[in-house]
Amino acid sequence: MTVAVPPAGGGGLPGRSSGSGLADVIDTILDKGLVIDAYVRVSLVGIEILTIDVRVVIASVDTYLRFAEAVNRLDLASQQPGLPGLLSSAPQSIARGKTKGVVQGVLEAAGEKLQDLREGYAAEEPAPRARRRRREED
Amino acid sequence: MTGSTRQSRAGDRAEAPPRNTACYVYGILPEDVEISEDAIGVGDPPGRVKIIRHGEIAALVSDIDVDRPLGRASDLVAHEQLLDEAAAEVPVLPMRFGAVMTTPEAVVEELLAPHHDSFAAALKQIEGRTQFVLKARYAEQPVLVEVLTENAEARQLRDRIRQLPEDVTRNERIRLGELITQIIAAKREADTRAVVGRFEPFTAGAVVRDPSHERDAAHVAFLVENDRQADFERAVGELRSEWGNRVEVQMLGPMAPYDFVTT
Repeated sequence: MTVAVPPAGGGGLPGRSSGSGLADVIDTILDKGLVIDAYVRVSLVGIEILTIDVRVVIASVDTYLRFAEAVNRLDLASQQPGLPGLLSSAPQSIARGKTKGVVQGVLEAAGEKLQDLREGYAAEEPAPRARRRRREED
Repeated sequence: MTGSTRQSRAGDRAEAPPRNTACYVYGILPEDVEISEDAIGVGDPPGRVKIIRHGEIAALVSDIDVDRPLGRASDLVAHEQLLDEAAAEVPVLPMRFGAVMTTPEAVVEELLAPHHDSFAAALKQIEGRTQFVLKARYAEQPVLVEVLTENAEARQLRDRIRQLPEDVTRNERIRLGELITQIIAAKREADTRAVVGRFEPFTAGAVVRDPSHERDAAHVAFLVENDRQADFERAVGELRSEWGNRVEVQMLGPMAPYDFVTT
């Protein structure tokens, strides 16, 4: 798919860090965009839609335990110094008091479940483009 | 499987399509648009992508077999890819995935004709603009180090969990994870606000999306004018190098303005 800005040389995390995966596609086209049902009620055809909405999972005990486990791993990994650089880049203002009652952490279940699909799917088909018939400018 | 029956009816193609096919609608475009012959639509095999025109506007459609369920990976990708490729060249109002009408006539009579003026006006509004989505995610180690450094309760919980056997600290571990989630949510709020403010000079609009991951730092759709795209991309590069290893920044686009069309 289209990626306008490749990740900077040493800036990002290791591994694949850009490109629109299936999870991104799902984020975009399943709950964004015009809904034909709002415009049309007569000639709508119902087709079985396979895709299950597996996103929007409220942060769960599993998430919490995973974070705790990550902190444990961190203990082992961070015996050596190296924190000051990180600390200086911490955000200036952290709105501690404003934390919402409902935790909004969301799992990327869709992304994980669909990983295989995405990897198996070759998204590199040469896609054609729409063009204006009339070209007034230029 | 009835796809082969279409071939044998080539003669009356201009009339009604075979009974078991319907009209998948991708989006609305200006009338003066052409789509190349080899455009790939949803379905298997993919239906040929066509344009149905009415007045100043048109619908991007393809025939679809109504007996085959929709929503395989290739269907989802085909929908977005077709619209995004189109959006790179011409204004497009994208439909949500899964919009199907009975016939091309129904598309004209029930979709294009009754809403002609509002669709035409919306197309004029988005002319020369496309959408980009910025996805930023905190790297795990740095953000956990931040949380521990900033929060005394988190440090105490961490120490207690370390001192005691695992089977007696379940509550502490849950509390620690909850605290981390809350602190990250607060960071996300602040960083999202900062990102929106920072890109404001280069963008015609911004929509904050729901986070897609518990370590999301920001998930924002931006509407960008074509002649500001270079500025916008430069700003993304600056943000990326400023955040360094703390946050992974991903940029998707240009794409059709999914987040900016409202029903």
